[in-house]
Amino acid sequence: MRIGLRRALAASAAFLAIGAAQAQELNLKIGTEGAYPPFNNLTADGQLVGFDIDIAKALCDEMKAKCEFVTQDWDGIIPALQAGKFDAIIASMSITDERKQKVDFTDKYYNTPSAIVVPKESELKGVAKEDLAGKTIGVATSTTHYNYAEQTFTDSTIKGYPSSQEYMLDIANGRLDAVEDDIVVLQTFLDSPEGACCKLLGVPTPQPIEIFGPGAGIALRKGETDLANKFNEAIKAIRSNGKYKEINDKYFKFDVYGAES
Amino acid sequence: MQYYLTLLSFGPEGWMDDIFRGIAMTVGLALATLPFGLTVGFFVALAKQSAEPSLRLAGNIYTTIFRGLPELLTLFLVYFGISVPLLSKVAPDASPEIASFLGGMFALTVVFSSYASEVFLGAFRVIPRGQYEGGYAIGLPHGKTMRLVVLPQLIRIALPGLSNLWLILLKDTALVSAIGLSDILRRAQIASRVTKESLLFYGIACLIFLVLAIISSIGINKIERSTNRQGAGR
Repeated sequence: MRIGLRRALAASAAFLAIGAAQAQELNLKIGTEGAYPPFNNLTADGQLVGFDIDIAKALCDEMKAKCEFVTQDWDGIIPALQAGKFDAIIASMSITDERKQKVDFTDKYYNTPSAIVVPKESELKGVAKEDLAGKTIGVATSTTHYNYAEQTFTDSTIKGYPSSQEYMLDIANGRLDAVEDDIVVLQTFLDSPEGACCKLLGVPTPQPIEIFGPGAGIALRKGETDLANKFNEAIKAIRSNGKYKEINDKYFKFDVYGAES
Repeated sequence: MQYYLTLLSFGPEGWMDDIFRGIAMTVGLALATLPFGLTVGFFVALAKQSAEPSLRLAGNIYTTIFRGLPELLTLFLVYFGISVPLLSKVAPDASPEIASFLGGMFALTVVFSSYASEVFLGAFRVIPRGQYEGGYAIGLPHGKTMRLVVLPQLIRIALPGLSNLWLILLKDTALVSAIGLSDILRRAQIASRVTKESLLFYGIACLIFLVLAIISSIGINKIERSTNRQGAGR
């Protein structure tokens, strides 16, 4: 498996090198929302910052493309792509079947995994089904994480909460053995004063695509397979050359890419 | 307290400079739309009461469509259906901001004028035939009768309805964020999402819209008084 992946990467790197030599300058306009911290947001002095933005810049460098950012309200972002106001959307857009009818997606560039948080003094060691047997796990209902917990931790008691706020209170007061949610949500909680009670135990594997979806991808106009291939190669390249990790670590304490695809 | 003052400052750490740029966008767009909207609306009203059946039909179709559609849909239709393709032919190098501004202006003109035409039509119907006949009787040609006799009365009668439309127009500009313009609401939204101070920034957006409405009504009152004076003098 590992050798296979390396070979594929080497081949793609070679392919990229040839492609870059042949292609003339690639000019791209990248659309983003600018109001979704910490992924993409405008600062008070008008700068675009965030994980999406840094990834986009790294991808553009990798593709030897000249990129220009255009901010656009979320509501009109797909129509604006279709109208040609920009060529790609890099704005933490989840890949869904509904959106796929209107736009093409590249491979995911991140898929924040579901994670488990426990009280600091907890003696739990692992995040497998057996480790959590007999324990009470708090999860926000009507989320993908709830479906996942119900299907995975069948020997534990799953306690549903209307939102993350409520289970956070309960775990801080010691009424829960563990909570499960998106790692970005949990990390924000752990970084807040209320989160001092708790620690990150780990990320359960596997994280099935049928439940969580494939993650966030770059949206392109339908039929732009050339550009999609270029982006896919560039994503692979920054994953392998450490650029991705560098950006990742600037914003998060964990790997947001999720499982290798 | 210090924290809030920083958020509301005009410096690099503060958001007020961004929000003021949003005000400039909102007010600029509304002011740029107004003359076109009024002119188009006036001519559509003329068409709708003309003796020529095809003109009447065209006027009625226009107002039926654009008063019937939700504004956001009109904005999308006009912007992505007309403005973008047209502009990419006429001026392919125009920046996205200019394209969005012109597109937004065009869409708002269409919506404003379809409502305004009804206001003008209502005003036309109030003016008795005798006013036109009086104009002809003293030897004025049709154009001059219109300009000197009918129009001044028309404006006075239409003013309350038009001032309604002006306020609606100011608020409708909040829709243009969907085509990529940064108006007051979009700027406030960005600030609130980034700083997590929603109440503060949406509250400020509220205040700004209220202040704009107050300033508008002062202006409209002035116009109303001046038209009344004119009317009394004749």
